Formats: sequence, C-alpha cells, structure tokens
Amino acid sequence: MKPIIEVKGYSFVYENTTKKVLDNVSFVINEGDFVGIIGRNRSGKSTLCESLVGILPFVMGGSWEGEIIVDGKSLNDTKGAGATDVIGIVFQDAESQFTQETVEDEISFAMCNFGYSRELMRERILYASEACGLRDMLDRSPFKLSGGQQQRLAIACILALQPRVIVLDESTSQLDPVGRDEVFNLITKLHAAGSTVIMVDHNIEKIAEYVNKVLVLYEGKVVEFDETHKVFQNKEKLNAHNVRIPQITDAALQLKDQLEITEAPIRMEEAKLVFDRYKREVGIK
Amino acid sequence: MKECIIQTQDLVHTYPTGVTALKGVNLSIYRNDKISIIGQNGSGKTTIVRHFNGLLKPTSGKVLLYGTDTTQQKVGEMSRKVGYVFQNPSHQMFCTTVKDELEAAPKNFGFTAQETKDAVEEVVELMNIKDVLNVHPLTLDYTTKKIVTIASVLTFKPDVLILDEPTGGLDEAGRVMLTNIIEMMHRNGHTVIMISHDMDYVAENSDRIIVMCEGEIIDDGVPEDIFLNAPVLQRAQLEPPQITQLDLYLENGNQSRAILSVKDFVDKYKQNIN
Repeated sequence: MKPIIEVKGYSFVYENTTKKVLDNVSFVINEGDFVGIIGRNRSGKSTLCESLVGILPFVMGGSWEGEIIVDGKSLNDTKGAGATDVIGIVFQDAESQFTQETVEDEISFAMCNFGYSRELMRERILYASEACGLRDMLDRSPFKLSGGQQQRLAIACILALQPRVIVLDESTSQLDPVGRDEVFNLITKLHAAGSTVIMVDHNIEKIAEYVNKVLVLYEGKVVEFDETHKVFQNKEKLNAHNVRIPQITDAALQLKDQLEITEAPIRMEEAKLVFDRYKREVGIK
Repeated sequence: MKECIIQTQDLVHTYPTGVTALKGVNLSIYRNDKISIIGQNGSGKTTIVRHFNGLLKPTSGKVLLYGTDTTQQKVGEMSRKVGYVFQNPSHQMFCTTVKDELEAAPKNFGFTAQETKDAVEEVVELMNIKDVLNVHPLTLDYTTKKIVTIASVLTFKPDVLILDEPTGGLDEAGRVMLTNIIEMMHRNGHTVIMISHDMDYVAENSDRIIVMCEGEIIDDGVPEDIFLNAPVLQRAQLEPPQITQLDLYLENGNQSRAILSVKDFVDKYKQNIN
C-alpha cells in the first residue's frame, strides 16, 4: 500500500492562543483507505482535517511543528500548495460554502478558478453530477435543495476536481436519516471506485458499518489508530476518551461469555450471524 | 388526569410559498410530558412547534396555550412560558459576548439584576461554559454555540422547553449533559418537547413519541410501541435504533414491546440465555 498522507510529529496552535490543539500527531494513511476520525468535541478533528489540506496554517495562520506530507511532498516546502490538487474537503455546513445560482455553476466554480478548459469542465460536470445523483438538478438553485442534496452537491464540487483523497468533516450531522444514508452510500461508492476517504462523524454505528480504519483523537493526541473491528473492542478505553462504541458491539461485549466469542461484532450483519448461531445452538426464549 | 397545556385543533399551516406544512393537526400536550417529535425533513415538525409559542399563526384551526388561543396572546408572554431552542444556534444569537447573550432573556422578562446574575451563574455552572463567557458567540465552535443557546433558554426556566435537533453535532459528553438537563427539567415538573432525527437518543429520552409525515401525525404513543410499528416508521422513512433493530430481527417481529437501549437488550438476553 502506498502512503498518500504522512503526518509526522505535527502540532498546531491557533493564532493568539497558546494551547496545542494538535499535539505531536503522527500517522500514515494509505491510498485506498477509508478512515473514520472520531473523538469528543474540541479534540482537534476539524483542525486536523484543515491541516491535511493546508488551510491551516498556510491560509488561516497559526503556528506549527512537524510536517504533513501529501503524495510525497511536504506541505512545509510547498507552503500548503499542492494539497488541494490531491485532497478535497467537504465541511459540515454545505450551504455556507455555496456562492452560485445554479448547481451547474456551483460545480464549475472551482474548476473555473483552476483554469480548466470548457470541454474538460463540461465532462467533469457530467461526471460529478452523475456520481452524486444531481444530473437532473443542474439548473436548480443550490439553496433550494434538501440537506442531503446540498451535501451531495458539496461533494460533487470537489469530485469535479477528481481528488484522490476526500475529507468529510461532519458532513452528515445536520442531515435526516435519508440524507445521511444518501451521503454514506455515495461515499462508499467513491471508495469502492478507488478514492481514499477520511470521514469525521459522530455517528458511531455508521462509522463502524462503513470505514476500515478508525483514528481516535483526544485532546489533540492520537490515542488509537487501527482497524475498525479492533478499535471498537476496547469499550473502557474509548469511553475514557468520551467515545462510545456501537450499540450492538456494546451488547455483544456484555454477553461475551454467554455468546462464547473472542471478538464482538461491529456491523449489523456480523451481529445477526453471532446471535443467530447462539439462538440455533442454545435457543433464545 | 394531567393538565393539558397545549392543544392544536384542526391546525393548518400554509406558508406564503403555497406549501401546506400542516394539514389539520389535532394534538394535546400535557404538563410534564417528555415528548419527541420525529419525522423526515419537511414533515412539519418545526412548523408545529413554532405554533406552540405563537411564532407562527394558524392559517386555519386553533392553537390553545393554557386554554387561550395563541392569536389572543402576546408572543413575548408566550415565549416566557414556552422556551424554544432553535436548530441552528446562529439563528438565535445576537449579542457580542456569551455573558450578554445569557443575560438577554432574563433581563427582557423583567428579572432584577440579582435574579439575572443568579440565573446566569446557575446555567454557567450547569453547562460548564465559564471559560467562554467573554467570547463573541458567533466565533464559538458549533457545539459550544449549541450549548450556549440551550443555556440561554434555561436561564428563565420556561414551563415548556422545546429543543429543535438538540443532539446535532454533540459528542458523548454533550449528550450526557443534555440528558441531565432534560431529566432535571422533567423532574421539576417542566414539559420537554424535542424534535430529533437521532433515534438512539429519542428511544432513551422520551416518554411519548409523535411521528409526523407530510404535515400529519401518523402515530402517537410510547417508544416501546412506536419502534415496533414498522409500517409507520417505513412511511416516515425512519429507522429504529441499531439495538432495537437487532432485537426485531432476532424475535422476527414477535415481541410485545421494542427494546430501547443496550441495557434493555442485555437484560433480556442474559435472562433468556442463562
């Protein structure tokens, strides 16, 4: 697996403050990974996302130590430039990032700024709108879309630039269940098609269901970074860092002895198998 | 019989755009109810609660607050009784510091300087926001904004507390704090009405659930029954909590009440397995 993002001893302090919001953070994300970043509020998740694309510190300021290497290039050397060619970021509040009157113009906006040719733009608008299920809405106003559609549009805008990595910072927290599933399904498709995905989300059940690695942040430090099913076995440790585990995992861990399992299921299909087996063998009244 | 404090009678609400968000809703809310209103975006949840304190007026039908038509009462007076925490915290902040923000409502409602000070101190302590008192509210992160808006409504302890999507963006610690606040208000006899998409949270923090779909109430009952009603949930495009779903699967729909929490589930299966 080829590393696409390498974070080495990275610390960050916002301007006019003294607290290290990120404190000596190191980890590697490989091409094709689907990583969930979880942690309590103010643990540094958004700061980390914005640092990966170079918004922090190179655009918004702040002081830092260590380095972030994106696709082999240190952002320290490029002053953050180049990261946005590789990584696209979608924020929590999609609506606040829209400026255009139609979905089509919104998708074109970044491409115009990057000086794409008209033909290439046309091609990418079709690709991104198709991938995000917005093909029939190109002449609609971004501001009149539903929450799920707006998030899909925000994703389409970065998809048009064909980044190799997509970062989603709490993109589903304002959505209803239908909108949330729309976003998760879309992201899963993009991941299956080869994109590297980094997703910050509070919905632990969905994170467990979809991602293959989990990074836990606590007070600016990485306290856990491993495969999803391993991370969620350690309830006490996660709880101590103000993160819960999926409900089905929690239940299975509490019934571990009766179920005779060494590892608790983290996904619904796995849980069904475990409990079904027990039901067959022992019988549940 | 508990006192009915809010009643809607054939309530219809049509927005100026021509969209009819409520299509003749009849609903009674009783003192000390702990209610969640659930449903998809656009189902009418926010529209209905905005009638409870007169922020919206009926297109037809009636809303009675303590037996009196809301069109006959002043919004200011109704807001004192029915405190409303908006979904988007930026929509209800207008002061330049968190402290001013917290003092605004009590001052507005005629609290004395000492009463205002005491009220603010109490919520600051309760919600652990002392370190942001002198910060501009709009520069806060989303979650802290959310906590400040809840705190600002708690300062005047409204009879009815309405929380519109309170868990959006809250972490575990935030959810625990919110639960404590809801419990405290409920214990002290207040009525709590929550709008939420967060089914895990709703299942564990409601005595009564109202399901809305396309401007109508399609179910109203206790969570143990609501989360068993697959056709209604499907129509409202809602999913029960994960643990409820696992139990529904294992029981093949033959149970008499829905499991609402991990504890419920573990208690049930521990008993059955042994």
